[in-house]
Amino acid sequence: MKHFEEINNSGEIVEEGTSLWRDSWLRLNKNKLAMFSLALLILMIVIALLTPWITVYSYETQNLDLGATPPSWEHWLGTDTFGRDLLTRILYGSRVSLMVGFIATMVALCIGVLWGAVAGYIGGRVDIIMMRIVDALYALPFTIFIILLMVIFGRSMLLLFLAIGAVEWLTMARIVRGQVLSVKRQEFIEAAIAIGLSPWKIISRHVIPNVLGPIIVYTTLTIPSVILLESFLSFLGLGIQPPQSSWGLLISYGVETMEEYPWLLIFPGLVLSITLFSLNFLGDGLRDALDPRVSKD
Amino acid sequence: MSLLSVKNLRTWFHTRDGIIKAVDDVSFEVAAGQTLGIVGESGSGKSVCCYSLVGLIPKPPGRIESGQAIFDGIDLLTTSEKQLRTIRGDRIAMIFQDPMTSLNPYMRIGDQLAEPLQMHRSISGSQAKDKVIQSLEEVGIPNPAKKLNDFPHQFSGGMRQRVMIAMALITEPELLIADEPTTALDVTIQAQILDLIQSLRKSHNLSVIFITHDLGVVAGIADQIMVMEKGKAVEYKDTESIFYSHQHPYTAKLLSSIPTGAKPVPTNILEDSDNNTLELKNVSTFFTTYKGVFKKSIASQTKAVDNVSLNLRQGEILGLVGESGSGKSTLGRSIIRLLEINNGTITYNGLSLHTLSQSELKQERKKFQIIFQDPYASLDPRMTVFNILAEPLLLHSICTRKELLKNIHELMDDVGLERKYIRKYPHEFSGGQRQRIAIARAIAVNPEFIIADEPVSALDVTIQSQILNLLLELTQQRNLSMLFISHDLSVVRYICDRVAVMYRGKIVELNQTETLFSKPEHPYTQSLLSAIPIPDPKKEKSRQRIPFGSA
Repeated sequence: MKHFEEINNSGEIVEEGTSLWRDSWLRLNKNKLAMFSLALLILMIVIALLTPWITVYSYETQNLDLGATPPSWEHWLGTDTFGRDLLTRILYGSRVSLMVGFIATMVALCIGVLWGAVAGYIGGRVDIIMMRIVDALYALPFTIFIILLMVIFGRSMLLLFLAIGAVEWLTMARIVRGQVLSVKRQEFIEAAIAIGLSPWKIISRHVIPNVLGPIIVYTTLTIPSVILLESFLSFLGLGIQPPQSSWGLLISYGVETMEEYPWLLIFPGLVLSITLFSLNFLGDGLRDALDPRVSKD
Repeated sequence: MSLLSVKNLRTWFHTRDGIIKAVDDVSFEVAAGQTLGIVGESGSGKSVCCYSLVGLIPKPPGRIESGQAIFDGIDLLTTSEKQLRTIRGDRIAMIFQDPMTSLNPYMRIGDQLAEPLQMHRSISGSQAKDKVIQSLEEVGIPNPAKKLNDFPHQFSGGMRQRVMIAMALITEPELLIADEPTTALDVTIQAQILDLIQSLRKSHNLSVIFITHDLGVVAGIADQIMVMEKGKAVEYKDTESIFYSHQHPYTAKLLSSIPTGAKPVPTNILEDSDNNTLELKNVSTFFTTYKGVFKKSIASQTKAVDNVSLNLRQGEILGLVGESGSGKSTLGRSIIRLLEINNGTITYNGLSLHTLSQSELKQERKKFQIIFQDPYASLDPRMTVFNILAEPLLLHSICTRKELLKNIHELMDDVGLERKYIRKYPHEFSGGQRQRIAIARAIAVNPEFIIADEPVSALDVTIQSQILNLLLELTQQRNLSMLFISHDLSVVRYICDRVAVMYRGKIVELNQTETLFSKPEHPYTQSLLSAIPIPDPKKEKSRQRIPFGSA
């Protein structure tokens, strides 16, 4: 769609993105909550990237003399049972968690949307075969799948993305397929065929923009679940290992020591919740912004 | 003594964008056994007016600001919800426009009909069953006792509307509010339903409020007519005065918008010459459902288009008329290969359309375009007018990118859209304006031939005449040939040079428009023509219907 010129209100041609995307951006700008969430998420990503340069403490050096201490002036969020600074560990954890959350979700999103859109749009035999493949993958027990991957490839971050992406795209494909089935029966798709557009252009220009709403909502729900899934995978031995940290690991560790050292659960939990809220607000904002039918105010 | 007397009714909607005066100071009366027609365009407040009486408007945002509606001594507007419930569905019954959506698809007809009875009367199951059978019989459903366990989808559209009427009348109400009950129906079915309402009114001494946008429909059945525009009743008189001595310009506009008579400017087509641009020979299109894991074996086959031969001359508008399910839309889509045909040949200026490869077809598509019925569904809701029109222009390299804006502006001028709307999205337009956008998209690629699939059926009558005139104008200016598909015979008569009548997948009659209308030969054509409502009370009342085949 990128090659369409834009016209501004005075009627001049401005060569930049399509109007749907630009209009959506303008509408999103008016949604203060969504913009605040977006700013917060960007800030978190920036801090995560800069972590090695802004942290004072090491995430792995243990200080057993110190042990678990509550928040103090030296250690803003306290220390864990090994005497490591919790803030540092949360910041290092955010590098892993945000990366897994966003990249694995994007992988799932791309595969799922394409797979579902193609299956739904072409329909018939192609649809049946493509969706049976999805069903077959659904039926594969997740834990066994992970252990298999580990045995074959060993342990690595890349495998983590692969494993999560391989699971999450299935649901995305199903959701997208269902939506596409209802969109493709509408007359504007027939009108696009009558104009002579190729199937690929129809899918990318007319079908996908019209199924964005559910996709975005599902995506914002996927990111936090992926972040938690990572801790499960790490527990199984895939993904990251202590002394490295991630939010999921910190939370599951915090749960164990919840009664004696509540801050070890509260702070990582709080950070995850804030991320989750921001994602949901941003997701809702995006869904409304991408739909021109939602009223303009 | 009138049964219902409404005085100074005001229903306003308090929305974020301000107050919408949906009904503004409307008064009317309905006497026992009389029919009141409420006529107006969409958004004129005619439905809100009646929904206010029975407490069916959404509150908020709706609010009844003032007024009185005395029904048999009770003010419907101020009475308690509890008392209103005993009146609604019992003494005042309603039927709605769309029989598809107003019946619960998961409930058997018998249970559904018995529901209002059991709600309002203490009655035993078997008594209710007898009553249901009796009322189904009354509305002309054959073998009612056997149909009790059927589901709504097992009935045709007309039969479903009969079931709706049976359900409304089962409690023997005094007042029936019919909200566009025939709009979604074919013309022959419409005539049957109108006859049915008429006869039930006489036999039950029923009062009817008949809401419609079509003056022709109420000409024969209404005693009084109230014309509404923008929430106000602009004219309220007895039927004959409305038709013969109306005073308000809006009534005149409504009446003059009804397409009557022949095509205003006949096209110059060489009679019986060989300038056929489009030729169909023995074309058949089947709908096949497959079964089995890989959908290889055929489960069933429907012959939607069955052995149709047709020719279209250069510059001609050929009408294709038929009821829903007759295969006329399928034929239209088959011609431009939105559907693949199973048999026959389609030749367009020597080019054999049905054998083109996909890549050749893509190139040729610019020669033939289509305009769809529903302008709400045929435009991508996420594209602006600019993008909608830019797409075909760029795809077929009609113009360079530098000329794009100029070309789009010209297209918008051609179809009568103001240039300032170029950045707006489809939902910001009215139905008529949307149809103009769809027409602009169709003519953007300078096609030689257009299929218009019921392009005005979803529009109000005044907008309808504007769009028809636009289509006439464009076909003449651009020397277009057009296949005009419609179920509305008066529209077809107004716009077409020749007319083909389609029935169950076959063309039963094809002739010059005026010949076909004055001397229809096929009994089905005769039946169709006799079912057209005439916007003239005297003629309408004496109109004789010719039934055809099984109803």
